[in-house]
Amino acid sequence: MALRDQLRVMVVDDMSTSRGLITNALDSYGIRNVASAADGPSALQKLAAYPVHLVISDYNMPGMDGLQLLHALRSNGATRGIGFLLITGRADREIIDMGKRLGMNNFLKKPFDPAGLRGAIEAIVGKL
Amino acid sequence: MSDPMAEIRASFFIECEELLESLQDGLQLMDDGDTDPETINIVFRAVHSIKGGAGAFGLDDLVRFAHRFETAMDEVRAGRFHPDGEAIRLFFACADILGDLVRAARDDDQVDDAVTGPVLEKLDKLVGLEEEEEEVLDFTPATLSLDFGDGLLDLPDLPDLSALPAAASSVEGLPSLDLPADMPALTAEALAETTTKGFTVHFKPENALYASGNEPLYLFRALRDIGDISVTCHCGDLPNLNQLDPDTGHLSWDVTVHTEESEQSVREVFEFVDGLCVLEIKPLTGTAAMIAPASAPVVEKVVEKAVETAAPEAAPIASPQKPPVSIKMVTAPAPTPKPAPVAKLPVDSDDDTLDEAPKDEKSGSFAPIKATGTPTQPRATVRVDLERIDRLVNLVGELVINQAMLSQSVTEAGLPPNSPVSTGLEEFLQLTRDIQESVMMIRAQPIKSLFQRMGRIVRESSASVGKDVRLYTDGENTEVDKTVIERLADPLTHMIRNAVDHGLESTEKRLERGKSREGHVTLTAQHRSGRIVIEVSDDGAGINRERVKQKAIEKELIPADAQLSDSEIDNLLFLPGFSTAAEISNLSGRGVGMDVVKSSIQALGGRISITSHEGEGTTFSISLPLTLAVLDGMVVRVADETLVVPLNAILETLTLTETDLKALGPETHVVQIRGGFVPLLDLGAELGYRKPQDSYVGGIVLLIGQEDGNRAALAVDAIEDQRQVVIKGLEGSYGRIPGIAAATILGDGQIALILDPTDLVGQASGRTRVRQPQHALVG
Repeated sequence: MALRDQLRVMVVDDMSTSRGLITNALDSYGIRNVASAADGPSALQKLAAYPVHLVISDYNMPGMDGLQLLHALRSNGATRGIGFLLITGRADREIIDMGKRLGMNNFLKKPFDPAGLRGAIEAIVGKL
Repeated sequence: MSDPMAEIRASFFIECEELLESLQDGLQLMDDGDTDPETINIVFRAVHSIKGGAGAFGLDDLVRFAHRFETAMDEVRAGRFHPDGEAIRLFFACADILGDLVRAARDDDQVDDAVTGPVLEKLDKLVGLEEEEEEVLDFTPATLSLDFGDGLLDLPDLPDLSALPAAASSVEGLPSLDLPADMPALTAEALAETTTKGFTVHFKPENALYASGNEPLYLFRALRDIGDISVTCHCGDLPNLNQLDPDTGHLSWDVTVHTEESEQSVREVFEFVDGLCVLEIKPLTGTAAMIAPASAPVVEKVVEKAVETAAPEAAPIASPQKPPVSIKMVTAPAPTPKPAPVAKLPVDSDDDTLDEAPKDEKSGSFAPIKATGTPTQPRATVRVDLERIDRLVNLVGELVINQAMLSQSVTEAGLPPNSPVSTGLEEFLQLTRDIQESVMMIRAQPIKSLFQRMGRIVRESSASVGKDVRLYTDGENTEVDKTVIERLADPLTHMIRNAVDHGLESTEKRLERGKSREGHVTLTAQHRSGRIVIEVSDDGAGINRERVKQKAIEKELIPADAQLSDSEIDNLLFLPGFSTAAEISNLSGRGVGMDVVKSSIQALGGRISITSHEGEGTTFSISLPLTLAVLDGMVVRVADETLVVPLNAILETLTLTETDLKALGPETHVVQIRGGFVPLLDLGAELGYRKPQDSYVGGIVLLIGQEDGNRAALAVDAIEDQRQVVIKGLEGSYGRIPGIAAATILGDGQIALILDPTDLVGQASGRTRVRQPQHALVG
């Protein structure tokens, strides 16, 4: 069985358009085990019931941003090992540096095409 | 739409409208002096998200503009630029253009660079930005080693943290982030959130409760005010009818109250029946109050909390007897590693990617937590094609007619009122009504979007006439039928332009009169006695009645010697072809007069009225029905015709006695009601069905109340029924008929006209004493 059949992903973005775009792209690579959440807190809640290997999260979200979500994941024994791909509209050095320190696995700047997203994922988990 | 991308694109534009709305809201707050970073963040994020989505669809114009706007907002956010009033006005202009660009992109249209260019230039000059170079950031992705073992769909041990090069292995090593206090980082508190909140109330009244005049129903209603309730009545103790003692109560109830409120508030409901009943209130024990067995603790904190109440090895401790404190989730090492079935996830309808976690998973290093309820979830929404809703509305209309026909048949069959068919029909009637209301609620939406558009109208029109104007809005969350909102846009735009152009004085005049420099236009919406009332008011000079009258005489709209009351003069503004502005400015003189505004409001079943005070300002008040589909009406008979009078227009009904009636001149009467006099109108004569009666003594009249506070008594032959009728428009076939709003189909299949009482009274009272049939209508 290929990696893509096994891989479980959670997409976190406050914009349903973005969730749709990412989910759609994942679907096109054959990744079907995808959950999604509209914000960090609900992502954490859903993760408890639906553990995943990889979280793909937007940076700019109301309440809890992508890095805060990453921090929450890394602070928790059960979610510490989850891969984390940050999607950001503005690739500020500050964000990336903070991401590095928090244990971000990769980042991707918007706008991206499906191939770009695939590359960013494969850089984390290996060939799909 | 089968193409997923097309669907996502369509939903992007809908989402953009929501973002534009929060953008406007945020800017408005900033304009009001709000400097809360979160407000600025909302504005920034709205622009940022639009840009992000637009980038994905290659909408370059939109991206370019949004990027510059976003950069400016980023400066504000970072505290490097402090916007003043002028800057915020510019941001408003940017938001308007951003909206234009979104709509242009949606409709494959374009926005002229001549529109965007100058604004961008101003923006760059104001904020002092130069196009920054994108920095190339180096980042080495950190790989995860995922071992799927023998290819089972198990969740393997997730790679441990050491696999992540940059990751900190201990929490202490992490930089401290400003995390929101309520961030549920899988803490005990967060988990407790997912449990059901509320109480079960067992309530058994004693005889004394009834004897002292208490009514359980009112208690349940009071409980309903606290939260959602479900009530179970236990009537097992009821004796047979022949043994029934009417003074003894036999019923008891169990009520489940879902609420965030405290037990105290629940108890307060029963305060006055304390001692008169058996009352047991227990906290709800949510189904979530359990933890799935797992090999690893969920969260350290949970364990710590659990230790306080139970030994670590203990089984779940959340017991119903415990006070409703918090920890309904306890972790404990389980005897077997087999996890409980994973709960169905609450998923917002936008993401249909996962409704249910796969069922056949084994325990991983995760502790699957069973959680129900969606307390922290935002309200789930579904987007539905409007056509489907309209179809439903139509069907409900048919249902209402069908129900009326059934009732009629039952009555004709001579069944007693307490027969099962009749009582069943009663319930059917109630249900039909509930369904109808629910369907109408689906069509309703907050009027906010319309009000926001008016913000732009004020900004643009005040700029074009060089006045300083601020728009105040109130009641933006008032829900109005979608169609009404759409069809209100044009008349409201015109009224707002009028208020800015004609209503408000020039800045110099305002200052001369000791008014604030800034003119105020206020737009409000509210529900008032079954209708929606929208008011547009200004604090300008008020209507110059002398000039209005002069103009009307010049235009030969009224005779030169006409004696008109103030309100009659005000109403001249609604006459076709009336315009008072000495010179027509390019703003409101667009060929649309207030008469067009009035007729579009009337087409919606609405009315418009004016009140004006010299030197203080003018208010236009629009009153609209809540729905365009059904209305509560009184079915009356007049000269062998059946007519329907909207119930909300009727203040009361009365039978005339000789002393009530006073003759006024040779051909009119007034009715004396509680010290006041009200003109009497014979409905049959007004509609041309017959000549005025010889005597109205003993006759029935409906007292009609009007928007402007005036009243009239409408004489009818008989009142037949009071019921909900489905509105069937006539205008498509007959055009507008004075005094008639629409038609309907009655239970016996007969067609009846629905009156527009205000219009009817208005038409009738406009004439002097000569009353002649004018609108010959034959049913």
